[in-house]
Order: sequence, then C-alpha cells, then structure tokens
Amino acid sequence: MSKDYVQQAGMNKDVRVDGKRVAGKLRFNPPGSGGSRPEMAERDLEFIPELEGGNEPQPAGAHSHDSFRTGTTVGKRTPLVDANAKVTGQAWYGDDIRLPNEIIGRIVRSPYHYAKVKSIDTTKAEELPGVIAVSTGVDAPSKFGVLPVTKDEHAMAVEKVRHVGDLVACVAATDEETARQAAALIEVEYEVLDAIHDPKKGLLDVDEPIHWRGPYHIGSTNVQKRVFQEFGDRESLEDTTKAFHNGKWKFMGVNHGFTEPHAVVAHWDSNGRLQLYTPQQVPHYAHRALATVLEVPMHQINVIRTFVGGGFGGKSDPFPHEMCAAILARKAGRPVRITFDREEVFWVNRGRHPSHIEVKINANDDAKISGFEIDALIDGGGFASFGHVTSYYNGVLATAPYELGSFHYTGARVWTNKPASGAMRGHGAVNTRCAIEVGLDDIAEKLQVDPIDLRLANLLPPHSKTITGFRITSNGMRQALERVREGSNWDEKFRKLPIGKGIGIGCGFFISGSGLPIHWDPHNFPHATVHLQIDMDGGVTVHTGAADIGQGSSTAVAQVVAEVLALPLEMVHVRSHESDTSPVDLGSYSSRVTFMNANAAIGAALEIREKLLNAAGEMLELPPEKLVLNDRRIYFKKDPTIGVSYLDALHKSQEDIGALIASGAYRTPPMGGVHKGAAAGLAPAYSFSAYVAEVEVDVDTGLIKCTDVWAAHDCGKALNPLAVEGQIIGSCHMGLGQVLSEQMVYGRTGHLQNPNFLEYKIPSVHEMPNVTPIIIESCDPEGPFGAKEAGEGPLLPILPAVVNAVYDAIGVRVNDLPLTPDKVWAAISKKMKREKIDDARDLPVPRLDFSELQKKLIKRSAEHKIRDSRRQRREDEGPYLNGVLFGLDPTLPPEEQDETWKISVKPDSSQLDNLGLAGTAWTKKEQRHMEGGK
Amino acid sequence: MLMPPFELHQPKSVSEACTIAKELMLAGDEFDWIAGGTDLIPNYKWHINSKPHVISLAGIDGLSEISMTEIGCMARLHDIAESEDVHPIVSDAASKVASSLIRRNATLGGNLCLDTRCFWFNQTEEWRSSIDWCHKCDCGTGADCRVIPNQNELCVATYQGDIAPTLMVLDASVHLIGPDGTRVMPLVEFYKLDGMTRNVLQPGEFMLKITLPDDVADWTGSYRKLRVRDSWDFPEAGAAAAWKKGDRTTLRVATTALESIPRRHDTEVSESNGDVKAICDAVFKSTKPVNNTSLPPRYRRNMIKVLIKRACEE
Amino acid sequence: MVGEEHVSMIPAATSKVWSAEVNGQKHEVIAKSNSILLDVLRDKTGCLGVKRGCDMGTCGCCTVMIDGVPRLSCLTMAHEVNGCEITTVEGLANGSHLAPIQQCFAEHGGSQCGFCTPGFLVASQALLNNNANPTEKEISCAIEGNLCRCTGYQQIVQSIQAAAAIHRGEADAVTSNNAAHSDPHPDGPEM
Ligand SMILES: Cc1cc2nc3c(=O)[nH]c(=O)nc-3n(C[C@H](O)[C@H](O)[C@H](O)COP(=O)(O)OP(=O)(O)OC[C@H]3O[C@@H](n4cnc5c(N)ncnc54)[C@H](O)[C@@H]3O)c2cc1C
Ligand code: SF4
Ligand code: FES
Ligand code: FES
Repeated sequence: MSKDYVQQAGMNKDVRVDGKRVAGKLRFNPPGSGGSRPEMAERDLEFIPELEGGNEPQPAGAHSHDSFRTGTTVGKRTPLVDANAKVTGQAWYGDDIRLPNEIIGRIVRSPYHYAKVKSIDTTKAEELPGVIAVSTGVDAPSKFGVLPVTKDEHAMAVEKVRHVGDLVACVAATDEETARQAAALIEVEYEVLDAIHDPKKGLLDVDEPIHWRGPYHIGSTNVQKRVFQEFGDRESLEDTTKAFHNGKWKFMGVNHGFTEPHAVVAHWDSNGRLQLYTPQQVPHYAHRALATVLEVPMHQINVIRTFVGGGFGGKSDPFPHEMCAAILARKAGRPVRITFDREEVFWVNRGRHPSHIEVKINANDDAKISGFEIDALIDGGGFASFGHVTSYYNGVLATAPYELGSFHYTGARVWTNKPASGAMRGHGAVNTRCAIEVGLDDIAEKLQVDPIDLRLANLLPPHSKTITGFRITSNGMRQALERVREGSNWDEKFRKLPIGKGIGIGCGFFISGSGLPIHWDPHNFPHATVHLQIDMDGGVTVHTGAADIGQGSSTAVAQVVAEVLALPLEMVHVRSHESDTSPVDLGSYSSRVTFMNANAAIGAALEIREKLLNAAGEMLELPPEKLVLNDRRIYFKKDPTIGVSYLDALHKSQEDIGALIASGAYRTPPMGGVHKGAAAGLAPAYSFSAYVAEVEVDVDTGLIKCTDVWAAHDCGKALNPLAVEGQIIGSCHMGLGQVLSEQMVYGRTGHLQNPNFLEYKIPSVHEMPNVTPIIIESCDPEGPFGAKEAGEGPLLPILPAVVNAVYDAIGVRVNDLPLTPDKVWAAISKKMKREKIDDARDLPVPRLDFSELQKKLIKRSAEHKIRDSRRQRREDEGPYLNGVLFGLDPTLPPEEQDETWKISVKPDSSQLDNLGLAGTAWTKKEQRHMEGGK
Repeated sequence: MLMPPFELHQPKSVSEACTIAKELMLAGDEFDWIAGGTDLIPNYKWHINSKPHVISLAGIDGLSEISMTEIGCMARLHDIAESEDVHPIVSDAASKVASSLIRRNATLGGNLCLDTRCFWFNQTEEWRSSIDWCHKCDCGTGADCRVIPNQNELCVATYQGDIAPTLMVLDASVHLIGPDGTRVMPLVEFYKLDGMTRNVLQPGEFMLKITLPDDVADWTGSYRKLRVRDSWDFPEAGAAAAWKKGDRTTLRVATTALESIPRRHDTEVSESNGDVKAICDAVFKSTKPVNNTSLPPRYRRNMIKVLIKRACEE
Repeated sequence: MVGEEHVSMIPAATSKVWSAEVNGQKHEVIAKSNSILLDVLRDKTGCLGVKRGCDMGTCGCCTVMIDGVPRLSCLTMAHEVNGCEITTVEGLANGSHLAPIQQCFAEHGGSQCGFCTPGFLVASQALLNNNANPTEKEISCAIEGNLCRCTGYQQIVQSIQAAAAIHRGEADAVTSNNAAHSDPHPDGPEM
C-alpha cells in the first residue's frame, strides 16, 4: 500500500450525527442507507493486516485475502447474528413449529434387541377414535442411509428390528394421549433372534448377521467395515526400538447430549409439495433420503431447517422419524408433529462408538517415533450410519501432527444390537487420539524426557505431507505447545506436584472439512455454494444452505460478506433455512462450514465488490484498483473526499439489471494419495491443538476434579474470537464429560441402562474447570481470511490431557474411559495392595530425572522451530514429506528411496496370524471370494 | 411426556386433606400425596405406579415452619438450605440435594418419604415393558425382581434421600397424621426395610413435620455425600455423624443410599467404643448395597468407610 | 408384552379453569387437573420460548419464574400455580428493549445453539433480582440446575457477571462495539 495513503476525512464536528446532509458542511457524500451508524465509521486499523498498512500482526505471513480486509468485522468479537432471537425466546426449534390443524405422531418401537417382524396388526389402533393415520414398514420399502455406500435403514422395520427402540410402526392422532394409546394398541408378532451386544462377538461368524451385504459380506460375521493400512519402514523396528509402549483401551460409547430432543413437523401443502421442518445439521442428505423413501422428486420437497438445539453430529443422519412424519402427514392430509422424549433420543443415538483400541508406539535412540500401530474395534450398533468413515478415521487421523517412521492400522466396525453409533464431535479421531497421546506420555517417561519436548522434537512442519499422504498446509502445533507450556507454568509443575495433584498434556489434530463430499452426484459439483443478492436499498441477502446449529455458521458467513463489502453486519441477512431458497450445501459436519462456506461467500462477495468498484470508478473517473471500500462508501485511496456512497455505486451498477446478484462456490484442490481409502481423512486444511490440564484426585474416593485447562487451538484465523473461544470451552466441557463421567451403559441384558440426563452424566457448571482459551493463528493459505475449523478439533486434547494429569497425580494409569471414581479407586487400591501401602497418601507418584536424550530433544526442537517458521512464512517452499526426519529425501516418494518402505492396504497372508483384535476381521473372506458363497 | 390421568385434589387445610383421603379410601380409590412433586412427577411421567387421585399438600398453610427444633413437611429444601435457623448439618445436606432449581420445589416431607430407586425401575413405560417389567411395578404380570431374581417377594430398590441420615443422627422425631389421628415416632423407626412399602405410613396417613430435641443446637457433626457431579446426582452413598459438642461418647452415625432405607448404626457405634475406624469397618460389614444405582455396589460399600471417617472428623 | 393386557390409561382427568398472569398478561384456559405447567405454558399460552429438554428436572430448559422464584415448569403441577405471576423468557425484555441479561448473553457468547438459553436467562435474572453483586460461586449455584451442552458454561457465567455490573449501575447497557446490533430496536418505543 502506498505511503501517501490517507485514512479518511476527519469527522467534522459540525456534521450532524444523524447523517443528514447539512449543506456545505459535508466534504463528501453521506454513507449509503442502512446500518444503525449514521456516519461512516473510521477504518479500524487494528483489524487490517500490517502488510496492508494496518496494525494487525501477521506472524504467519501474508494471505491472499489480505487485500479484501476492510477492518469491518473479521477478527472482532462478534455476537451471533441470531443471538437476539435466542435470548428473547423467538428462536423456533423443531417442536416449536405449530401449524394449524396439526396432529401428533408417535412411534412404535421394538421391545426386543433383535427379532424378525412376523406380522403387524394395526386394526385396533385404527379403530381408536381420534386416530387419523397409521403406518408400517410396507409403506416405505426403500432403503436409505447417510452414506450412499451403506444404505441400510428403513423408515420403519421391514423385516427385522435391530435394537430395542428400533422403529416398527407409527401413528398419528388428534392429540398426544390418543397417539400414545394407539401406539400401545398396535400388535406386533416377533420371532426373537439371538442378539449380539459385545462387539468382540461381532467378529465371529453367526447364523443371522444383523445385515446382509450379499457378495460383499465378510464371512457371515457382523463386520460392517474393515480397514488395513501399513505405511513406512516396519522391518527395522525391532532393532531400533529404545522405548516401547503398549496400551489397551476401552472406551464406552457417548451420546451428543444436545439439549433439544429431535422433533419434526411434516406438511404436504396445497400443491402437494412436502414442507418438512426439522432441526437438521445436514438438511441436504435428509432431503435426498426423503425423496428416495417417499418416491417424490427432490424439487417437490422443501426441507426447512428450524433452529437446531445442538447437533454435534447427532442430527446429521437422515432420520427414520422424519420419514414417518412425512408418511403420516401424507396419509392424514394434515400436518404431523413428532417430538421425542429424551429416551428416544438415546435410542436414535449416532453417538461416539464404544471402542476397544490397542496402541503400540516405538521410539528409537533419538526419541523419534519409529512406529505407530493402532488396532481399533468399534461398536457400530444396529446401522452403518457414518461408520464407514469412522472406521478409517480411527486410524488415519492419528498420522499427524508427529512425524512417523511407520504406521500400521487395523480397524473394524461391527454391527451389534444396540442403537447405532455414528458421527460425534471429533468424529472417529477422539478415542485413538486419547490412546496415542497417553502412549506418548508413557514413552516420554520411559525415555526420561519431558513429554512436551518429546512432541516438539517430532512435529511435522507446515506445508508437508503425512505418512499416508495428507497434505498439511498451515500448522500451528508448535506455537500451541509452547503457549500452553508457558501459560500453565508447566516446567514448575510437571512431575513435581504432591500426591493427588497432577498436570498433563495432550494434543489434537483434526480435519477442516472433508476433501471428498459424501454425496457427489452430479459429479464435480462444488462442495459449497453461496448466493448473494442486493436490492436497491443496499441490504445484502446471503443464501446459503449451511446449517447453523449454534456454532455460528450464519454469523461467519455474514461476517465475511460484510468484511469484503465493508458493510455493517446488520445490513447482511443470512437466509439458510429453506432448501427452496438456498443452494445445495452439504451440511454441518466434518468441520467444513466455515472453511468451505465462508470461502464460497467470499467468492460471491468479491464478484459484487468488483461490480461496485467498477461502477464507482466510472462515476469518479478513476481506475477501480485505486479505490477503497470502507463503511458504506467507496473512495479514492489518496483522498477520501473523492468518493461515492455505497448506495450510489450500487445503483449505478444495478442500472440495467435491477438487483445485483452473485454466486460463489468452493471446491477442494486435488490432493491425496492413490491407495484404497486415501480419500478418508483428506482435508483442505487441518487444525491443531494442545491442552494442558490440571487435576485434583481424591485418593480415598477416586473422584477426579479438573481444575484448570490451558487450551491452545490453531484455527488458522479467528474470524470471530468470541465464537472460537466458545467452541474451545464448549469442546472442553464435552470432552471432559467423556473422560470423567459420560457413558452409555448397557447392562447385563443389553438394555441401555441410562437413557436419561440423570444417569447419563453430562458435567454441570460445578465440574467445569477454569479454561483459558488460547487462539493460535497460523493463517491457512486456502482458508477464508486464513481460517480453519474450531468446532471439533478442540475436543480431542482434553481427554488425554486429563488422563495424563491423573497419572501425574496418583501414578496409576486407567485405560478405561470414563474415569469414574470406582475405576480410579480400584486402580489405586490395587496398587496399594501390590506395594503394601495402607494410606493412599503414601503412594509413590512419578518423578522425572532427565536422561541425556532431553538435551538432544531441546536442540532438535530449536532447529525445527526455525525450520517451521521459515516454512510457515513460505520463506522455504521446498517439499517436505513424512520421513525426512528419518533421513529420507523430501523430493522423492519414500517408497522409491527405501525398499523396506511399505504402502499396503491389505494384509498379506503372512501377516494374517499377527493381527490385533480388530485385525482378525481380515481372516474372513468376502462371500464372493468364498467357495459356495451366498 | 404425558402424565397418566389422575385427579388433583388441593385441600387448604390439614383436616380437609384428611377428609379427602378418608372419602377416597371409603370409595376404594387409591391415591398418592404430592408435596413438591420432584420425585412423584418424574415417576408419574414414566407411568410408574400412578394412582387415579393425587392429593396435594402444597396449598395447606402452616406446614412450612423452619426452626432449630421443628421443620414442617412442606418446608422447601431451598429455604432449609438457606436458613440460618436450621441445624447446619441439616441445611448442608439440604443444599446438596439435586440442583438449586429442584430445591425450590422439593420439600423435606418428600425427601424423607422419597420413593426408592433402581435402574430397572426408574425408566419409561416402554423401557420397562422391554424387560418385561419388574416386581415393584409389575403391571399385573407377577414379574420378578431384576436385581435379586428368583425370589419374587422383596424389592431392594435403594433409598437415596440425603437429609434423613442427618435428622437421624440428631435424633429427630416424625409427626404423622391420618384418619386415626396423629402419632409421633423417632425418625429411625419411620423406615421399613422394603423397597416397596418404604416406611410405616398407613393408608391415608401423611407426615406433618419433624421435631428435634431441645438441645440439638449443642450438637455438631457433618454430612458427606458421594456423587459424581455436584449437581443433580442422587447420593451413591452418604453418611452423617453427630455428637454433642465436647463429648465424643455421644457419637451417632447414620448412612443413606446403601439399601432400601436410611439407617442409624447404633449397634456398630456402641460396639466399637467410639473408635471411628472400628465403626467404619463394622458398618462396612453390616451394609450390602446392591447393583441398582449408577456406581457399582462394591465401590459404594467401600466408600462408606471413607464417608463415615470424614463425617466423624472434628 | 406391549399392548396386551396392560392398557395404561383408563380414566380421564377432569378439566378445570387455570388462570395466571403470564408475562403481565392474564390468561384463563381450561386445563386438565393433572396438567404440568410446562405443557400449559407451551400448548395453551403460546409461550414456546419455554423449552422442554428432558421433562425430568435434569436440564433446566423449562425454568420459569413463579412469583419471582425460578422453578422448573416440567416438575410443577399447573393447578398449583393458579393465580400466580409467571415470567418466562418472553417476559424478560422491557418492551422491545432487551433486558441487560439478554443483551449480555448475546454479547458475551452466553448462547450458542440457544436451546438452553431461556432457562439460563430466567434463572440468572431471578438471581440478579435478589443479588446484584453475586460471587462466582453464587452464580454457579444459581445455574447448577441448568444444563448447557454448547458453551461449557464459562461464557454464560461471564454474561451473568456483565449483566450484574449493569444492574449495579457500573457498566453501561451499551458495552460492546456491536451494541447497536444487540438491541433490536435501539430507538424503539419504551413500553
Ligand atoms: C434430577 C433430580 C435429582 C435429584 N437429586 C436428589 C438428591 O441428590 N438427593 C435427594 O435426596 N433427592 C434428590 N431428588 C429427589 C427429590 O427431588 C427430593 O428428594 C425432594 O426432596 C423430594 O421432595 P418433593 O416434595 O419434591 O417430593 P414429592 O415428589 O412431592 O414426593 C415424594 C414422595 O413422598 C411422598 N410424600 C411427599 N410428602 C409427603 C408427606 N408430607 N407425607 C407423606 N408422604 C409424602 C409422595 O407421595 C411421594 O411418594 C432428585 C430429583 C430429581 C428429579
Ligand atoms: S429392586 Fe427389583 S423389584 Fe425393586 S425396583 Fe429394582 S428390579 Fe424392581
Ligand atoms: S425440561 Fe424441565 S428440567 Fe428439563
Ligand atoms: S447453548 Fe446449546 S445447550 Fe446451551
């Protein structure tokens, strides 16, 4: 930016504050209409990047969007654009949609874990006065599912019920009482089958697998998906290992626990189109599934996303009850509303998979991580849901932020007769992450080094590639670790606190949008599309399908548009509720919304910006590149008094077309390897985080209290720090629940024992530690203004940080989450017995004597720090791939340099005997490869 | 969720309440009392043993007395917890019940008469039907107990009220009123070891108030509650201890949430000659929690030693 | 099994007049004797801002003020509050102006998905009515019965602290650079 750049005309005292023109007093045209500020605001230099002449520091270097920054809203603590609706009770969620003449729907559910439905008799229900419609599986035979590869759900049971609570039939009646009575009158004859609850049994051949996949069925087991991946040099492992960790973990299933239970309203309007109101995170997939199941073209369905009372992944599948409502409404000719009881929410579930995970980590003489081996058996429950993806994520999302000598993953997802597991905040990455971060803590202890230094000396740099070929762009891992170390006063506390007090570290790595969309037909459709529309009065309407589920996606989109066009936020209106008016958006999952939607929105806004600048340039007879946008005015860079109002420029550019309309789209760049499954876990950017947690453990009772958390998260650029902090703290809360108290308990009969908020223990305000959110801005080159995700990644580190802190406090590791007091107490008691100690306060707690390696690590991380900062700022643009730390040449693919370097996605026969628990799924053949296969 | 159908009666006086109760009994109609409703309403929403009539005590004046020696049955736990007049152990226990919002409704009477709890039982109707019910609410099926099967007689659901043990160690008496007049008894005699009948209340009888000995202000002690979350959670085990200031020989210990009733451990205390460790061991021996709350019984049983020890700390 | 001998609902409860002043407006509706306040508020008085998260006393989304006392409407018999003054989230604003507590929740991130917000607002307003200078401990005790799955409570506590400052007169009602945005009717009529 040129030196003689002038900010703007100083505010003249005589100018009337209401912005009305006072003849001769105004030195330039008044700002355009709209917004509550009558006067043009000064350019806020604090929020203009320093390389553009502002004061906003750019430690990570320049960004291609820098020149579109106007200092309007990006980077400012911005209340949600829909906050007022929420605080006044005017936000309408699913059950708040009350259409005239509505009737109430109720679902009949299976009382059995696993059974064949022999017959359903609905006559008694139909005869009950007040009952308007009854429906069963025969009304909707088409299958659906969120992933096109695994469509295995029906609106209601067609042949079998697969868990207690599975849908069998539904009724609609004039009131809830009648609907419930009618539901009880539906007579179903079942033939009970042998149910499976233990995922380990899911690996075995059985007579009646829960689903049948024909030629692709794996033996006659209940394995829904299996994954094998082997990368790197595993042959030399045995000789080079200096420290070895083997952790066997059990993770209980957890539920999203959003406060709003599912609810849906379906209404076939007078034109015979379906209007479906639902709190969906992914309205588009529901839209597709509805079209399939109802056998109606998509354009005859309008999916209206109500306000969503929390999603976290739990409202992202197309749901059978949505189909039921639509079917009932079609039969009844009246709007149908179905609202769930809390228990039904647990029956729908889609929460995090209960998992058995084994992790093996090898470190060599240099404290380099030469081997990572993960085996994950995950319990999918009755349906596939997102499970295909989860099966990959449990392994592949562990391949960063560390540089690995080798990576070996076996995973299997099995069906069991439980409510389906699915996607939940931190999808697929959380449990494995916990296991490996705790493993690294153990490795550090064995090597007698500081676990933070161990991590710092083994990080992948920015702009590099992981062992499985993910393209890492910006990477703030190092800063995150450094900041939490400093913030928590780590060096004074780690391994130095008295018994009962402890401190621990954990890191995280997560995708910022998935590289491949789930549904991709027509092929090559963009991932996200945003339309902008400006009418003569200057207000901007943004049409996007992005589902705001409380994370603030509408706010983020409004912000970037306001930023580019330099308009006050209240002039930008986001319309995202209806599929009729919004372009297709793939929904709020895999942390894609800010990255993809905001990018699409920027694209659209830039188109408008160009038109405005051209119009202004024409009016001012200046070339557009010499003009600046600021708060409803466009003016000459060097002399702000020469300019036009936004409105004048707008009207000029609208002269022939009436409204100004633009569309922006986002798609991911081509990337990733070619091996099978290479696309799973691919993302245009990744987030990084590091947390330090401090805990107090009551050694007599085993009760853990997490007191403080320092939470550093690299979100690229905080478009709205208020929201990023909210996501970080909220993630801490949710992760803390999983590590300390939340679990879906299936009792000895296989019934979910705690489908309510009293026994499913989500932390209350008293359990919340004091969280210090630390935002790291690594400025992602492809992110909107540098932004990456902040909604899911921040959940990952809290689990291992707490588990490690508990170890620091009591010297006992418990590998069974949640760490309920009984488990911790049992572990303490066991140790006391073993060590013959009477008082738990006399237990030895771990202490750290540095080995020689520590110095080596510090030296290496100092060197890497320089390397990383040069790469981050693109001063060094050379290629970097995983393996350089182990001596590989970054310019050649590793398999070409090292003949022991493996890339394999299928075990060879010699490996079959040595597989972990989940790996044994590979010992079965698919039906099509079996002799006499079914 | 939908309430089962019932008629709510709202008497304005104790005698009116007794009359309504008497009339219903004469007509052969079953009924429940409702005080704050924080226990009864969730159970009713789940259609657990609901009755066609419910008599509310909330509209009766004069049942909310709060003082050092007397607490009315309708005294709200919030008020008890905040009150300066109540014995500190009692107000402390009250402040640990459920959540601050629930305590605004919850009453002392309801807390003492709390229904027993069990995860096979505190579930929706659909859920319970999927396990074919259980003995305590068998819906006419003669179902067995799911915790201790093959006996079909006893329900071992757990009493999880917080306040009873503190009143027991302070030697409170309960005042009951019913069709046959009033009666007074020590709180320790109020409970009956059966998860279904729970206490000695006769049909038509309800609790008016509790009273405490005149010298109660001279007593000190504490209440310890084991729970995972500091809000909402029922006690997984609880222990109260009290003694006359300066005189440890008067020590009394009571526990809750370990069996179907709260219990004062007079025998264990006297046999241990006041040695706290011995008391802990004795109570540990004499209580056998079962698996029907959220934490495993072995753990809860062991914790009782810790809780008693801490409750006895000076 | 389901639907055989066991029929759950035989008799019907009688209907009675229920009347109360909801958000300053008198309501008289016919409600069954066994009605729960939450259902009456949502279905009969149109207060859809009162939310149902669990129906069991475990989430606080249904909190309303009854004669100034915050209570869970899902655990309150409707007919027991006959004649009372009830304030729901819809009744917190002063006409078209947001109450400080509402404004602070909006500005300090106290509300994400917003489903728990009505309950939190009512519970915290009830606190501030009696105590304009609450300690952090007092704040957390006042909201311990409210569940929030999104925010992790921290920004909620900060919102309440900020509102308390306004109640004490220490801070302006207009606190953030986006204050104008947070008051939907900056120049709207006082009511
Ligand atoms: C989420 C949740 C958490 C809870 N946590 C706890 C906890 O931590 N600790 C705890 O102790 N309790 C807890 N409770 C239970 C309950 O809130 C309290 O025990 C409360 O004190 C019960 O009082 P109430 O007036 O609401 O009882 P109600 O529901 O009105 O009555 C409970 C029972 O007592 C009977 N009853 C009530 N008053 C009388 C009387 N005067 N005479 C005769 N019978 C009477 C009723 O018929 C009913 O059977 C919890 C409840 C919920 C919903
Ligand atoms: S203890 Fe037995 S009878 Fe009693 S509620 Fe539990 S399962 Fe039913
Ligand atoms: S709905 Fe009342 S507390 Fe949850
Ligand atoms: S803001 Fe979503 S539950 Fe609180």
